[in-house]
Amino acid sequence: MSLRASSAISRHEFRVMFTDPSTMIFLLVMPLFMVAIMRGLFATALAAQGYEGANGSEFAVPGMAVGFAAFGVSFAGFSFFRDHGWGTWDRLRATSATSVDLIAGKVFPTVVMTVTQLGLLFVLSKPLFGFEVTGSPAATALIIIVLALSLSAFGMAITAVSRTMQQLNAIGSVGAFGMAMLGGAWVPVASMPHWAQTIAPIMPTYWAMRAFRIVILESGTVPDIVGPLLVLIGFGLVFTLLAAAKFRLEDTKAYYG
Amino acid sequence: MTVVLHIEGLQKAYGDVVALRGVDLDVAPGQIVSLLGQNGAGKTTIVSIVAGLRRPDAGVVEVGGLDALSRGAEVRKQIGLAPQDLGIYPVVTVRQNLVLFGRLAGLGEAELRARIDEVAEALRITDLLERKAGTLSGGQKRRLHTGIALLHRPRLLLLDEATTGADVETRGHILELVRQLADEGSAVLYSTHYLQEVEILGAEVALLDAGRVIVRGGVRDLITAHADPVVELTFSGEIPRIDVAAKTTEDDHRLRITTADPAATLTTVLPQIPPGSLGSIEIVRPSLEAVYLTLTGRRYEEADQEAEHVAAG
Repeated sequence: MSLRASSAISRHEFRVMFTDPSTMIFLLVMPLFMVAIMRGLFATALAAQGYEGANGSEFAVPGMAVGFAAFGVSFAGFSFFRDHGWGTWDRLRATSATSVDLIAGKVFPTVVMTVTQLGLLFVLSKPLFGFEVTGSPAATALIIIVLALSLSAFGMAITAVSRTMQQLNAIGSVGAFGMAMLGGAWVPVASMPHWAQTIAPIMPTYWAMRAFRIVILESGTVPDIVGPLLVLIGFGLVFTLLAAAKFRLEDTKAYYG
Repeated sequence: MTVVLHIEGLQKAYGDVVALRGVDLDVAPGQIVSLLGQNGAGKTTIVSIVAGLRRPDAGVVEVGGLDALSRGAEVRKQIGLAPQDLGIYPVVTVRQNLVLFGRLAGLGEAELRARIDEVAEALRITDLLERKAGTLSGGQKRRLHTGIALLHRPRLLLLDEATTGADVETRGHILELVRQLADEGSAVLYSTHYLQEVEILGAEVALLDAGRVIVRGGVRDLITAHADPVVELTFSGEIPRIDVAAKTTEDDHRLRITTADPAATLTTVLPQIPPGSLGSIEIVRPSLEAVYLTLTGRRYEEADQEAEHVAAG
């Protein structure tokens, strides 16, 4: 792998990304809006679980952040399809960049974007909603980074199996909804039907929410979240293996149709 | 002779369709070899395989002495490719397009800036460097597309139908720059179906037909060796019986007579033609087109249309 090649691609991807920041703005503003609406509801739920004095943002902020981060996972995929549509994919392949350089260069901006999105939500929520992290900020940052990597790996996996942009959109949206709802990001797992509670752990978001809960509500530190983090890393590895098994540089990705 | 590109026994099929049936080809430093052939003759397949975009079914491809299949990344460092279809990022500026591919080619920042200025000037796009590529005209986009390929002075330049859809001015600038790069020592494999460009570039020709190189050589050598003028007579109905001491071929209502002396041939032939049956007379002068006609028995444009018809069908 060449750091020079992958960083050249990443820098270019950021440049392309910033030519139309509307999606990034949406993924930042929308969860804040949702937190403003939902946190009152979650305050009651948290109180019922014994967290007296919670204002609801303790669940709403990480929940909305995780849910909307899941919606951003298709971003890396879009960049592959877009390159096929612009005719630049073959040009990139004909350079000395290896397949790892190409993929790393394209996925890295998505990881950074997800980390930034989650980080900004946490930071802005403090003055806006009185959001407090009772535990370790380092642990919070670690969850954010591992979650971003895991979701980006999921994005690559669905890119690898999608042949058209429409397929990527469909699989990405269903996957994001599934992860947000069943993973307990938008509704506390304890409030979900029994069958949903049973399958919730198959979602990576479930483990991210569990880790956030430990840090935000239970004053957790890094050692306290090792378990959920390892599971999250495991999800990331499975998605990466799936992407590696299915992704072919020479596959045609239809930008339209 | 030291060669930059060495191709031997290259074969490729797409399902039942055989694209290459054993292509042999060498390109030396400073040499422009024009892959010439109708649509579907295998030009793009050869370029794609050399660039590492497709894998051959059999054969050897070496660039600078390195096996292109097993040492792809090293080989691609030496290559500049302008694919047939336009490949630029429309949402960023012309300069940013060049910067990305210059960096990927390993150019340092100072060298990259200098090369961007040089290439932009040669292609007359200096004033457009800060414009978004998507806002350029078709010809300007084509210049950028080609400029990306030769920014890093590649040892082997692969141009696949580089001037397709380009206006006369753009075509001139591109050909000039290609010639210049070859003069500086780059080997150029130039796939085209414009015979005129080959003559302008003074390129060597590798004539492809049905997945094989059927002839290779300099334009003048080929014309001398294979191209006598051809008198083409088109009739309104059946071709009448005509006695002529020359090679003839018939195709629908056309009679083609290959002759060193068209005037003398016409003097002999015209009196034998029944009044009212002759539609037109055309003398195809010695040229690459005549070489193609002699070697394949088809006119170049016809072959192209035929291939397009098959592709469309």
